[in-house]
Amino acid sequence: MKAISYISLLPLVCGTFVLSQASAQGLGAARKGGFSAADVQRQAGSAQQPMMQMNQPQTGQMEHVPNIGKSHVDPNSGETPNPQVLGMEMPLLDPSGDTMSYNGAKFDVGNNAVVRARFEKYLLQNPDDSSEARRYRKKMRSIIKLTQKSARSRREVGSQTLVEIANGLYEMNEYIGDGGQSGALASAMASAIAAQYANRARNRKNEKMQEEIDKLVQKTNILTSRNTNKVQRGNNTVGAKNSGGGAPAVSNTFTIAHNTKKIGTLEAAGIKNAAENVAALELAKINFQSTIVSMLMQRRYNHAMIGAHTYRHIFSDGDTTLKLDSESQAAQMFEGGVGLPPTIGTMATMASNMRRDVDQNMEAVANMLAQNKLGEATNNLIQAVAVGEYMESVQTFPVEGRRRISEYWTLRKQALPALNARDYGRLEEIASKMKALDPDFDDSMLTSYCAGRKAQSDMHLRNAAKALKAGDDATFNAEIMEAGKIWPKNPNIAKGRAELEKIDNQDPVRDEFRTLIGRKEYRTIYNEQDKFEVVAIDPELKEQYKEAITLIGTIDGMLTQLDVAAQQDVVMGPCMAYEMLLERGEQDARYKEDPKYRDALNRYAQGAHEFTQALEKAKRSEAAREYGSALSNYYRAQCLYPRSTMAGEGAKRVTEIILKAKF
Amino acid sequence: MARKRRSSKNKKSQLPLVLGGGGAVLALAIGAAVVMKPSEEQKETADSRFNIADYRQDASRLTGNTYRLTARVENIETLGNDRLVAVSLPNNKQERLPLLVRSGVTGRVNLTRGDTFAFHVACRNGQDAEGREVKGVMIVEKVETD
Repeated sequence: MKAISYISLLPLVCGTFVLSQASAQGLGAARKGGFSAADVQRQAGSAQQPMMQMNQPQTGQMEHVPNIGKSHVDPNSGETPNPQVLGMEMPLLDPSGDTMSYNGAKFDVGNNAVVRARFEKYLLQNPDDSSEARRYRKKMRSIIKLTQKSARSRREVGSQTLVEIANGLYEMNEYIGDGGQSGALASAMASAIAAQYANRARNRKNEKMQEEIDKLVQKTNILTSRNTNKVQRGNNTVGAKNSGGGAPAVSNTFTIAHNTKKIGTLEAAGIKNAAENVAALELAKINFQSTIVSMLMQRRYNHAMIGAHTYRHIFSDGDTTLKLDSESQAAQMFEGGVGLPPTIGTMATMASNMRRDVDQNMEAVANMLAQNKLGEATNNLIQAVAVGEYMESVQTFPVEGRRRISEYWTLRKQALPALNARDYGRLEEIASKMKALDPDFDDSMLTSYCAGRKAQSDMHLRNAAKALKAGDDATFNAEIMEAGKIWPKNPNIAKGRAELEKIDNQDPVRDEFRTLIGRKEYRTIYNEQDKFEVVAIDPELKEQYKEAITLIGTIDGMLTQLDVAAQQDVVMGPCMAYEMLLERGEQDARYKEDPKYRDALNRYAQGAHEFTQALEKAKRSEAAREYGSALSNYYRAQCLYPRSTMAGEGAKRVTEIILKAKF
Repeated sequence: MARKRRSSKNKKSQLPLVLGGGGAVLALAIGAAVVMKPSEEQKETADSRFNIADYRQDASRLTGNTYRLTARVENIETLGNDRLVAVSLPNNKQERLPLLVRSGVTGRVNLTRGDTFAFHVACRNGQDAEGREVKGVMIVEKVETD
């Protein structure tokens, strides 16, 4: 039953097509005004026209005829073609994927533009609870009751019940929400009844012709009998009587021949009328069945039920079989797999079940909303709207429920574009909102997917950062591109962009860095190493940057250690610190460029002024070749700081000179 | 400040005056010796004119001067038979004075670290192997045990 119910999705895609088919089949447009048996009589003559068209098919029109009995599915594709009813391919929905196939294309019911548009339009509409709508529904209910009554009443074409039903349908046709369906059904009924009246007229004509035939036969029999008698009398008379007996016999024979010809003509006309009756009846049935199927497919289940019930009243011959090819899939579908041919009763049952399904769906929607299960409520409402958009329970669904489902639906609708745009932040936000609206909403898969993709993007950004520090522009660009490909709106990409801007703006920094290196202002570079870090991208400047940072770091570390040592021994500490600073300064001239080093050297020189004076005097004396003074000053320095390397080495050096000299 | 010792030159025309003065000086010296009776330390500091600080400041100014210094041997550096001895003076034990002791100068005196000796020294200039000056070096001329 569920599979069958999905055929009602057809109007969502091809409702207009179905309507045009109905019109093409001579059902005519709905008319305003009343309906009477006289109308039926007037239409009786025109009802024969389709029959003539059927007998004389126009080859030129065949090009515009739908591919009846043919499917859009390529027979070699391996796909099962959709069933067809009266030449129209029926859409089938695959519940496993919520996809509907029609005309060779597949549609996602939940994401089909047409379905979505119809559903959104429905959500934005106010409940149709106007006085006209209430009057319409009341009338509909009364007509349905009448159809049930007609099933029990005497079956006669043009009965008062049928007239009431048809008039009621024309009244309902005036309601704008009816969409002209009632008028179309009424017209179909009128056409079918007119065809029945035409058949009656032909039957009466046949009866009169039969009476005339009977009379002619009787007359002919009399004439034949007379001729026979004359011949017998002639044979019994001798001489002249016998020679004149042939003339009257010739005159009766001509009349008999004329009567016989006329009887044949009348018989042929009667046979022709009988054949026309059969053809007209079949055509009328097909037209009416087509209308009922159209109503069913347009989800006008009430109309379909009315049509199905009145069918048996209009066509009282008991033949309710649908005119389907018994081998067709449609016939198999309608028969429900029980091996019986599909009938009008099947259609009525189908319409009734669909009404019940839609009502149950709407009841479920109300219950789900009461429990804040918006996801389930939305799914049920989509199905209810798709299957029974024109049902009373759907049309009167309260605006508050529509608003809540619309809010949830909007979020759900936004999720797909966000996913397509790989905006995982937005997707998580949507999932969070959906979760807030519907606690039962399972966002674990969505959030896990988003988290994974975001992590992937961030991983590429980390690689890009590493490449940036390594000065690998190619890898940096590739990683940034990959990160953007995975998560275009990754906020960390903005940071990467800032790094790029740094690279773009590094020339002034690079120039400043080179100036500072030229001036040997390493401490300035050290103090602003965050600013000058970007120059490390340049392999040439990278070494200089590292040297400057390492040098000042070493000096600062050394000064810290010397400060501690100097505080522990206030006598020799300054001497030790001074000598060490002096030694390092002489080993690496860059030390002397550092103001902090120079300050420390001066500070320790003041603290160990005797030691420093002795060393300086020793060096000056040594340079002046005053070796006696030099050696005695080295000795003095050693006395002040026995572990002095400079004093020891100086003393050793001068001692050797003195010992080797000649006096 | 120590003065440069001038070399004595006898002038015959001033002989009576010198003799008279010498006698007076002698008398004063004897009198002072009797009255003041000098201590043991003063005896050790044989030549109080010498000051290590002065020497450190400008040894060249003392070139040519001779001194008798009583000093304690603190360190000895040797090169062949020559030695460079670092000594400390009794009145200034915080400083060291370098003395060049040539081979054979000490005679039979054995210089040992920690012992005190009387050094007769002269401040001289010399030359290294390349002929460049080596100025203001105290050369030991004689060593006596203290």
